[in-house]
Amino acid sequence: MGLPPDLLRFAGSLLAILLLAGMAWSLKLGPQRRLDSDNAAREAAREALDGFEPVALARDREGRAALLRDADDRLLLIRQHGSHFAGRLLGENASARIENGALIVDSGERRYGAVRLAIADAEAWRDAIARL
Amino acid sequence: MPDFSPTELAVPGFVALVLIEMIWAWRKRREAYEPRDTLTSLAFGLGSTVAGLLTGGLFLALFLWAWQFRMFDIGWSWWAFALCFVLDDLAYYWVHRFGHRVRWFWASHVNHHSSQHYNLSTALRQTWTGFLTLGFAFKLPLVLLGFHPGMIAICAGFNLIYQFWIHTEAIKKMPRWFEAVMNTPSHHRVHHATNPRYLDKNYAGVFIIWDRLFGTFEAERDDEKIRYGIVRQLGSFNLLWAVFHEWIGIAQDVRRAPWRHKLSYLLREPGWSHDGSRQTSDQIRADWIARSEAANKVAVQNAIAETGKPT
Repeated sequence: MGLPPDLLRFAGSLLAILLLAGMAWSLKLGPQRRLDSDNAAREAAREALDGFEPVALARDREGRAALLRDADDRLLLIRQHGSHFAGRLLGENASARIENGALIVDSGERRYGAVRLAIADAEAWRDAIARL
Repeated sequence: MPDFSPTELAVPGFVALVLIEMIWAWRKRREAYEPRDTLTSLAFGLGSTVAGLLTGGLFLALFLWAWQFRMFDIGWSWWAFALCFVLDDLAYYWVHRFGHRVRWFWASHVNHHSSQHYNLSTALRQTWTGFLTLGFAFKLPLVLLGFHPGMIAICAGFNLIYQFWIHTEAIKKMPRWFEAVMNTPSHHRVHHATNPRYLDKNYAGVFIIWDRLFGTFEAERDDEKIRYGIVRQLGSFNLLWAVFHEWIGIAQDVRRAPWRHKLSYLLREPGWSHDGSRQTSDQIRADWIARSEAANKVAVQNAIAETGKPT
């Protein structure tokens, strides 16, 4: 007894998906972008939230994330997402703590996750988040 | 009714073209693909096919039932196919426009826009929950005119196949006459952009003339880098979150909102909120225009001050 055609098509499609994703991996596509300068962080912030003009920022030493503040004291968290960045404007659900010298910021959104930033002046940023 | 599904036959071609585009990316632009993003997009495509199998029969049965009330007996001639294809594309334009302007429709269509990449795998990022929206209602007029539901399904299939190849950054511009009439990679890049200038533009499926006709056309500019995805990027490759996040958002908003605003969270545009805590695409664009005008004014004043300096 043969497999139903729909099931066969499903299995074939699944195989093709795994093949293509494997190909993307093996070709090393999607290099991770780093925030290697303050300008890169500003640019990523504008991409995440149009019109956000930071007046202060703290960039993770590895360039994986950044925290930025604008003139209205809004705080924007950006972090790597694949070869791009994703940002969140922090609100009252956000929290922050310091672990082993690094600032851990929780945006309050489970799927976005907590972000670790190795930055100078972590305490000041932690306090700013606590004031939100 | 012919048992013919153009999209099923096209799948090997889709796979081959994604492979070719990956090789192009490897040679020219490695950031054009990201393995986890690709895997999510392709899983979306597979899940959408399964959802289509489970619910497609229901819509076909509904259309066949409605067909008995048709105004004309159009039949299966070549001109009927051509006319059906054009009218189906017009219906697609309006389904798509509603898909961006009504949150209930957007909850399903947002899936297609949830990638920050723009490549051929993005084309396969199709919704699993289309059956929850009323998109099919936009095609009922074709059935009532007398086009056979099977013919409409075949035309819709070819429409979807056409839209596959335009999801690429590998092609910059097509010949001018083609760009004037047809939807192209350039026009559709604009549609997938989150830049304020480009938000809610270029809804066309096959013929860009609908956007030109109904005032939603925007040309791609060489001086503005496109950012792809959605205004509030997901920041997650979790497939189920990507599929259902907007439905979950609607449920949460409806639950929290005062009674008189509950329905608005379903029927108003994405980004609308009763307390003004979020922004719709129109508001984002208005803010951007205001900022641009203010910046231009400052630039002009500076230029005047410069020229007024004593030499």
